[in-house]
Amino acid sequence: MPNFTDITGLTGVASAGAAGLLLIPGIERLSRLRLVLLLGMVFVLLLIQFGELPMAAYLRGVTGDLSITTLALIGCALSRSGIPHNCNDSNYCLALLKLVVLVALPLYPLSLGLTAFDPYRLGFGDPLLISVLLLLAFAAWILKHHLIASCISLAILAWASGWYESGNLWDYLLDPWVSIYGLSVLALHGMKSVLQFVKSYQMR
Amino acid sequence: MLISGKFATRHTVVFVVLLLAAASASYKISNRPSVAIFQMPAAAKQSGSDLPVLQASFVSRTQNIHTHAASLVELGDGRIRAFWFAGSREGAPDVEIRSAVFDPSSNRWGAEQSIINREDTQRSLLRYVKKLGNPVAHRATDGTLWLFYVTVSLGGWAGSSITAITSADDGSSWSFSRRLITSPFLNISTLVKGTPFNYGDGSFGLPVYHEFVGKFGELLRISQQGTIIDKFRLSSGNTSLQPVVLVKNPQNAIALLRDAGATPKRVIATETDDAGQHWSVPIKTALRNPDAAVTGVTLSDGNILLVLNDTEQGRAVLSLVISSDGGVTWKTVYQLEDQQGPSTDTERYVQIAAELAKATDTGITDPAGHARSAQRNKCDGQGCGFEFSYPYLIQAHNGDFHLVYTWNRSFIKHIRFNRGWLDRQLERRADAQLH
Repeated sequence: MPNFTDITGLTGVASAGAAGLLLIPGIERLSRLRLVLLLGMVFVLLLIQFGELPMAAYLRGVTGDLSITTLALIGCALSRSGIPHNCNDSNYCLALLKLVVLVALPLYPLSLGLTAFDPYRLGFGDPLLISVLLLLAFAAWILKHHLIASCISLAILAWASGWYESGNLWDYLLDPWVSIYGLSVLALHGMKSVLQFVKSYQMR
Repeated sequence: MLISGKFATRHTVVFVVLLLAAASASYKISNRPSVAIFQMPAAAKQSGSDLPVLQASFVSRTQNIHTHAASLVELGDGRIRAFWFAGSREGAPDVEIRSAVFDPSSNRWGAEQSIINREDTQRSLLRYVKKLGNPVAHRATDGTLWLFYVTVSLGGWAGSSITAITSADDGSSWSFSRRLITSPFLNISTLVKGTPFNYGDGSFGLPVYHEFVGKFGELLRISQQGTIIDKFRLSSGNTSLQPVVLVKNPQNAIALLRDAGATPKRVIATETDDAGQHWSVPIKTALRNPDAAVTGVTLSDGNILLVLNDTEQGRAVLSLVISSDGGVTWKTVYQLEDQQGPSTDTERYVQIAAELAKATDTGITDPAGHARSAQRNKCDGQGCGFEFSYPYLIQAHNGDFHLVYTWNRSFIKHIRFNRGWLDRQLERRADAQLH
């Protein structure tokens, strides 16, 4: 009988696997019903045991458990039945990704031993980190950035309830995958802005 | 109108979630264990004779496999249980964690048994596991036996994570495996080697280290339920690993680390005066270290006993050293092994290995087989070399010391000695030069 945290971890990875289908070119031409059926089938297939383990367990060995932020973005992509690049067009999503990248850029090098300071330690229940995060979520709520407010709040809720194996809040807030995704989207966005600026300059 | 109604609902729902998050976080923080002091190891009671005792034997017996990284734990009844990993080669899929029990009254090791393998681990963890490594055991204050071991899903040892199993009956049966999450970067690169120790509140410290991008030591504080309560950095950068924490008093401890940095290669030390909350800037000690693991115990008189490869190159020398000033200066007590210099003469190597095996354990019937195992693991086209590495030292409640280490990557060797023998060596070496 799998642990609760194994079930949550595997379903997260299986959701990501199913959402990966949305990257296939032309898939948006399928009707909504067919798309939902296809995504559901892949989700279930990933959780069925083939050989020693379900396919999702092999993926989980590499990816680890996915953060709440990653799952929220996957949820957005799945609910729209569109492609995940929707983030390019949403200011709210871009703001979330900017925040993720802003945190990830110092978090990973410092956690991997760059200096004697270890920010990952704060994730084991440091009251200051949690206070800052709650204030940030509240500010995002005031500014109507619901995606940021939801991701932070849900991550804290999941951490406090022991949703995953990890007892560290950072693992619920972000993971390397959403950080890489955020970095890529922001880089593309930046390049687009530069190109537009150059174009408008030439038009003058 | 409809949009603003939907928006208002969403706005309210998000606020409710935010309030719930604040409430649950407050509850979790209020239940967080407070800072704890170190628990001093129970004073060893001298039992039996004060006559000097030094005995050697092999813990593992299986020939022609790769055997490495042993650890020890004293069981509730005073017996000693050893763990190590063994398989066709290091990192092979068939590597498993093995164990055997030593009975001090009969002075004999029981048969080695498999505790857990790669397949069992991945079924239990519900994630792919490629290979297993370093097992470290700890008996918590509630009597639960914990076994931490390294598992890798992706890449080499730098991609390691720590997995734990527990036993409520001193190792006769074991729980399912569970993963410790210790790093934000895919939880990779945390390994165990050093001896765990207890805190005063029943939680325990597990020295760990990283070797992905950086090489540095850390200390995990783990609750009796297996939850990581806190994590402390012992060093940073790319030069130190495999910490061993030696508790001097409830507030003070010294951590010694293997030197993976530039020459001169020396054991690295860092100290704490506030039960591990803060650690001093690591410094190189006078002890030579060829980028190899060290082990030690704090004696009841405050002296620190250490076992290490006291050389800058290779692992063919293994020494017992002591410090009577809290780790500032060291004196060699005894040379446990000394087989320096590579050998291009394989036959000569095999002959010496057989003699060493016979001298270690008169009970073995096939020393030539032991020597061939050493040849299998320690000879290549360039020649052969002896290796006595990965020492692990504990002091049992009856005062006896038990040391295990890798013998030529082929067997686990055990040395048992008592305080009487140690005192005699100290008398003989009274005028030995300080490091």
